[in-house]
Amino acid sequence: MTNSIPEIRDSELMFVIGSNTSEAHPIIAMEMKRARQKGAKLIVADPRKIWMAEHADLHLQLKPGTDVWLLQAMAHVIVNENLVDREFIEQHTDGFEAVVEAVQAYTPEEAEQVTGVPAADIRTAARQYATTEKAGIYYTLGITEHTHGTDNVYCLANLVLMTGHLGKRSAGMNPLRGQNNVQGANDAGATPIFYPGYQPVTDEAARLKFEQAWGVPLSPDNGMNLNVMMKELAKGNVKGLYVMGEDIVISEPNVSQVEMGLNQCEFLVCQEIFHNETTRFADVVFPASCFAEKDGVFTNSDRRVQRVRKAVDPPGNARADWRILCDLARVAGYPMPNYADPGEIYQEMADLTPKVAGISHERLEQNIRGLQWPCTGPDDPGTPTMHEGGPAIGRAPFQVVQYRPSAELPDDEFPLVLSTGRTLYHYNAATQTRRDPGPVAKQDQNFIEVNRRDAKRLGMSHEEHVRVVSRRGEIIAQVWVSPRVRPGCTWMPMHFAESRANLLTNDAGDNVTGTGEYKVCAVRLEKLPTSHGAAYAPSELGHPVLNDRQR
Amino acid sequence: MKNEFTIWINGQECVAHEGETVVDVARRVEVDIPTLCHDTRLEPAGACRVCLVEVEGERRMQPGCAWKVRPGMKVTTESDRISKHRSVLYSLYASDHRVDDESLPVETGNGNQLRQLCAETDLIPLEPVAADRVGRPDDVNPYIAFDPELCILCARCTRYCDEVEAVNAITLAFRGSETTISTAGERGLLDTTCELCGGCIDTCPTGALIEKKAPVERPTDSEKIRSTCNFCGVGCQLDLHVSDDRVVKVTSPPPGETMNDGNLCVKGRFAYDFIHHPDRLTEPLIRGEDGVLHTASWEEALQAAAEGLNRVRAKHGADALGFVSSSRCTGEENYLMQKLSRAAFGTNNIHQCAAT
Ligand code: SF4
Ligand code: SF4
Ligand code: FES
Repeated sequence: MTNSIPEIRDSELMFVIGSNTSEAHPIIAMEMKRARQKGAKLIVADPRKIWMAEHADLHLQLKPGTDVWLLQAMAHVIVNENLVDREFIEQHTDGFEAVVEAVQAYTPEEAEQVTGVPAADIRTAARQYATTEKAGIYYTLGITEHTHGTDNVYCLANLVLMTGHLGKRSAGMNPLRGQNNVQGANDAGATPIFYPGYQPVTDEAARLKFEQAWGVPLSPDNGMNLNVMMKELAKGNVKGLYVMGEDIVISEPNVSQVEMGLNQCEFLVCQEIFHNETTRFADVVFPASCFAEKDGVFTNSDRRVQRVRKAVDPPGNARADWRILCDLARVAGYPMPNYADPGEIYQEMADLTPKVAGISHERLEQNIRGLQWPCTGPDDPGTPTMHEGGPAIGRAPFQVVQYRPSAELPDDEFPLVLSTGRTLYHYNAATQTRRDPGPVAKQDQNFIEVNRRDAKRLGMSHEEHVRVVSRRGEIIAQVWVSPRVRPGCTWMPMHFAESRANLLTNDAGDNVTGTGEYKVCAVRLEKLPTSHGAAYAPSELGHPVLNDRQR
Repeated sequence: MKNEFTIWINGQECVAHEGETVVDVARRVEVDIPTLCHDTRLEPAGACRVCLVEVEGERRMQPGCAWKVRPGMKVTTESDRISKHRSVLYSLYASDHRVDDESLPVETGNGNQLRQLCAETDLIPLEPVAADRVGRPDDVNPYIAFDPELCILCARCTRYCDEVEAVNAITLAFRGSETTISTAGERGLLDTTCELCGGCIDTCPTGALIEKKAPVERPTDSEKIRSTCNFCGVGCQLDLHVSDDRVVKVTSPPPGETMNDGNLCVKGRFAYDFIHHPDRLTEPLIRGEDGVLHTASWEEALQAAAEGLNRVRAKHGADALGFVSSSRCTGEENYLMQKLSRAAFGTNNIHQCAAT
């Protein structure tokens, strides 16, 4: 996020796109609700009539995967009605003219044909966004989990830049991060192309700095992103894998490919707090610690570095993850220093990473609201609002974008669009939330939201179990006849190990980030043999066709 | 800051701002005014009357939590009249509340602020009131219980449910002495719009709303460790209550103190059972010749892992290795994971589980 969570309550307009905020980020949603109660406008763009949409002043219920059309059409209106912030564009940006030209083709009327959103609503949204001072954009995986995810983000950035909604309180461009420490993991260099703090691995000066600090020569080449890594695994080119704290067999798209890869890979190490679908394939499993059992920091969506503190001991012989990683490095022959505690590890990172150089565990003891990077020195109070006084990189480039359809569109064989996501009550692979009674009482099994019309046409009733089939796999799930989804569209959560949405999803990745297309794939629904009766109990669905590693 | 001016509280000169209430200013200058129905996250309701103060020029005492400051205003927060008012009011509340052997309102899981107020005051003995308020004893939701005998009807819970969580699952129901906190049609919370955020438990000043999983766990019974929620990317701060090396309850820091302003969602507040779940992995495991995972010592497991990864590297090159880091783990651990991948095994094939 360029801006901060506490600024949201002072907004005058919130444009929420591809974010089921009240379920995925409940406390940010509370801030939005508060702003709304004080009179702020809420514009929601989402294929589903989610809670946020029901409470919005304007709901743009676009067809999945047509975001570029919608956003380009909004830009079209803003440019042609001259609602742009000339001064900001001239002082702080490059390439505006090319965008003006590129968006001409995207008229609201044609956008209506493609997106299903009335042209008048597109105009209203564009005008209100452009002419409101404190207007912020908030988005999540609904924007990024597409083969054109990066294009979607560029379109949003163009809107922010042309209206000058940057570097101001309660405005900006605000991706809401899914997991507790997505931001922090990226910041710490858990990416194939960056050392910590986004220093490129291909930059020689950066490489030399890290070679010197770590005392070994380092690879000058970009590595594989996760999407590529999983595909290379399936092809047999990745032969050894170390997985810490992720159930890739539930979480990655098109998981049957991942399973195949894991079966043939030569060596798999898992570091986990529970057995999951992935540990079934492991050669070695390290018992790790949960957040309550170790010290460290998480960095949240608004770049806020906050402390995690050890409250209890790990169970049995389980160890803190940071200890395991140090131990393994040493046994493997690399002299990892003897860190006394995670504070020392953080210090090593901060010394190598200008963005967080001013942050330390000691300072975090004093700052109970955390410290937001960039924070470059011991006296730097951190940065709640970024880009004040102009973009941090100097001049921000506009990006010319053209619409590309999603990689897999519905056809005769697979006539429905499936989008996947998360619910309020569960969390990812649900190894944690399915061990608590509340989430289980609310949602005990997988379901698929189907529009009334489609359900009627297919002769399917509410809570009936059906087979959901895509080109990549099939699962059984309960139909929820739901007014939330558009006709022709369906939606399913990704939490259930015995009915894995990701057997269906498409692993086509965004060409820049490699993020999989979880939001759009084509499926069909099939009725199950009626001899079985109307409903299957969750236990009857049994465990999936998952085999332990074959050797 | 908008319009700044001076007011006097108990003769002390104080800076105040337009739009603030007497309680806002008093808290800042550390003058103590008792409150029960007041919560900084909610619109003032002026419901409980324990915060009454004297304002010069006003004949009646006024609720400090709702009374807006005006330039030059003179406020008195301690006087005979106020003391008398408080002692009558607390006595009335106590007579309509379950009391313990000390004739004080009972202590409960969340700390009973009414009890503290009563303990500091000379109560007037009054006949106990037998009100027939109902709870919803059959509500099977796993987290939130309500004890009508501890409720003072301050409506913080229902206002929180409306103004902050905005789901309006609970409301004031019935009338007169039967007034209680309930749901539409007195349904269990699972059958309402309730999202089980537990904010009602957090805001209740008397502990009438109770966390079912930790009904008698009092704040003073355990050590509180401040930490960060491990679920979504909002990064709410929370206090882990620890007793006997177990997390027995999770609460939010007080409103205003951290970014989440005293709020948590269902996952952050309640989904902590996994921490001490019997399914937790407790021993290193190595897959044996028989294809099954067997318990091993740390030395064996570390040796096996290091050898296995080094073998792949020797045979196929460093880039045949892949490292999947975790956005669930700490920043330090992610730093170590990429250092392990890059420095110890020589490959940039490192990514975290959520690329977004
Ligand atoms: S349950 Fe608690 S918060 Fe709700 S009205 Fe009663 S005393 Fe107030
Ligand atoms: S309490 Fe809820 S909203 Fe806050 S960080 Fe945890 S999961 Fe996210
Ligand atoms: S706190 Fe002021 S009336 Fe209740």
